[in-house]
Amino acid sequence: MFVYEKKLQYPVRIKNPNPALAKFIISQYGGPDGELSASMRYLSQRFSMPYPELAGILTDIGTEELGHLEMVGTILYQLTRNMKPSDVKKAGLEPYFVDHTAGIYPQFASGTPWTAATIGVKGDVITDLTEDMGAEQKARTTYDNILRLSDDPDVNDVIRFLREREVVHYQRFGEALRLATERTNQKNIYAMNPAFDR
Amino acid sequence: MVPCDERKGPLPPCAPLALAVMPKQQSSEPAYENKVALSRGTLFPGLDLPFMNVVNHPDHLSTPLCELMALDFVVQELKLYLDTHTEDREAFAALQTCIRLSREGRRRYVEKYGPITVDDMRYAESFTWADAPWPWQLCANKEG
Ligand SMILES: [Fe+2]
Repeated sequence: MFVYEKKLQYPVRIKNPNPALAKFIISQYGGPDGELSASMRYLSQRFSMPYPELAGILTDIGTEELGHLEMVGTILYQLTRNMKPSDVKKAGLEPYFVDHTAGIYPQFASGTPWTAATIGVKGDVITDLTEDMGAEQKARTTYDNILRLSDDPDVNDVIRFLREREVVHYQRFGEALRLATERTNQKNIYAMNPAFDR
Repeated sequence: MVPCDERKGPLPPCAPLALAVMPKQQSSEPAYENKVALSRGTLFPGLDLPFMNVVNHPDHLSTPLCELMALDFVVQELKLYLDTHTEDREAFAALQTCIRLSREGRRRYVEKYGPITVDDMRYAESFTWADAPWPWQLCANKEG
């Protein structure tokens, strides 16, 4: 089960509200490679993971991603605080605003609501871990793109932290894949799926 | 076929083909100091690969809350490392030290600023869960 800790993993203090930045940063909340997808992917994949230490890494990284979801939500909340209708218009945020006011809704930057179609749970040890490595790179690229678009130092400070976490997670999933293959038939690692064929 | 260690033999007969192989992190040392680790987003200099080589500075991480965040962050980093390095005794000892420091830091923080989990209210005089600002509020992350 999960117990809430009333603190962020890393401090978020955005001095200047700027709804225009929230328009694209929201993709790391509910977008295709965002933190909601990340946590759901790993926390769902772990059920069929046959190796205890690898179920551990999926649990621990999946849980950390929930903390990142909270941090991205915090960035969005602070960027859109005290908005007036004129600020909404100036930022071109009308399509979002009309549906959600200043609420934080998990969606892509393009407006598509969050969907489980963005995650993979294949139930195959190598396939799932390979998906996770790709997912971490996609999240890193998205953070790179956010850094290319944002000039707010308070936002970028947090984005740099989150981006580096993807690099660390990529390394851990790579090591997890290594451990998984060391446990399988070394001559033919594709001879069977240890998550299903016993 | 001569049996060989796939990871040591020459390519291609003795190396794994059709497989992504990540180099394993060899050790949990060297490691950054807690606050630097938090500001960089990793405990390990070897994994610190910033975009356009721009990095955060730890100067603004000196509040009591940030000190606790830094300790908990090192715990998280060592835990992830140990998930794939279960036999590393040194890293485990470092993790245990850090957990103890974090517990002590948390006790002091909670005394001053209020509960982080429901457990922190076990000796409180009243239900103080919502008294302090929520973490997403700007004032919860203020300096000083
Ligand atoms: Fe991640």
